[in-house]
Amino acid sequence: MATAYYEFYRGSSIGMALTDSLDELITSGAITPQLAMKVLQQFDKSLADTMVKQVKAKTALKGHLKTYRLCDDVWTFIVKQASFKMEGNETVVTPRIKIIACKNGDAIEAGKK
Amino acid sequence: MHSHLEKVYKASSFRSILIPSATLQTNMSFALPARQVTFGRSNAYQQQQQQHALALPGGNPYQPQNGLALPGPSPLSNPYQVQQQQQQPQPTKSLSPPPAPNAVAGPSTPPATAVVPSTPIPLTLEQQHITAVEGIVPTLQNIVATVNLDCRLDLKTIALHARNAEYNPKRFAAVIMRIRDPKTTALIFASGKMVVTGAKSEDDSRLASRKYARIVQKLGFEAKFSEFKIQNIVGSCDVKFPIRLEGLAYSHGQFSSYEPELFPGLIYRMIKPKVVLLIFVSGKIVLTGAKVREEIYTAFNTIYTVLCEFRKP
Repeated sequence: MATAYYEFYRGSSIGMALTDSLDELITSGAITPQLAMKVLQQFDKSLADTMVKQVKAKTALKGHLKTYRLCDDVWTFIVKQASFKMEGNETVVTPRIKIIACKNGDAIEAGKK
Repeated sequence: MHSHLEKVYKASSFRSILIPSATLQTNMSFALPARQVTFGRSNAYQQQQQQHALALPGGNPYQPQNGLALPGPSPLSNPYQVQQQQQQPQPTKSLSPPPAPNAVAGPSTPPATAVVPSTPIPLTLEQQHITAVEGIVPTLQNIVATVNLDCRLDLKTIALHARNAEYNPKRFAAVIMRIRDPKTTALIFASGKMVVTGAKSEDDSRLASRKYARIVQKLGFEAKFSEFKIQNIVGSCDVKFPIRLEGLAYSHGQFSSYEPELFPGLIYRMIKPKVVLLIFVSGKIVLTGAKVREEIYTAFNTIYTVLCEFRKP
């Protein structure tokens, strides 16, 4: 069940913080590594669900698509001279950005059927 | 044409997958003035070797041809004419005067480096027929070619390591890869067969195919470049007058299929050359199904006379 979720949110700042805390707890002997794994899996799931259901923020992206790739249902885009137009009419420009797009949990389940 | 030549220079990095030169030479004539081509291919080729002195033993198909190009653009130097004259039977390969350019040729084409023909050979029936085109030459829009890389491929490796690749085995059992120059798309199958589409000329199609083969090679496969074959050529043009499709469909019933409720164009299946034409009321024509460029041109010339009969008043 929990394996259906990607683990990449663990690399985000909130994910890193969680991992650090869990590490500390393991070293101090407060929790077992198995429990820590469980927590991380729940984190993957919760974050994926939250991103889908609760994050409504949108941004429009414009730029030159340098390369793209689709493999294992994961799209990778490298966009040059990307400009993000946020909702508050604020624009962020970056010379290069890599976008990794995955299916969310529901879509993976749907794909299996 | 110059940008084309620049492109050609870069191709030298693909030498490691060169194939015998004989099949490549047809493409060389592309940038050559018509008259020189008629001397026979081997001759024109040698001239190039001397001029550039960088030819490989196998013959480099992508040699620069600047030295031989005619100065200004003229109908004479267009590939259509070059190819047409190549089709003519060549009695000798010596430096005998080539057949004179036919009546479509530009008004003030300088003789340039070519030998001036002294005794014009009378136009064949076919050539006279060609003069009916009134300067309209179909543009090639798409060329589809196949290549056998002769090596089993692990598509997932390719998809993971190559850029601009898509691989979704649930949808389609091939990697879809694109390159920007020449702007083309390739379908790469696990069997090692590859389909390259989207090129606008035979040279581009071959160059693109080589590039894809090279990409696959660089990913660690023992890919060869074999059995390159152009499978389809699509051209289009505009005769610039409206056409009575009903009349055409009626009198050319055995070749035509015109069902305006299904498709607004008339589908004309020409037997010789075996080319399918989509003819629209507007006078726009799409020609497809040809294996060589000449078939597109011959088909267009053939249909042009027919279309003139059915010109809308």
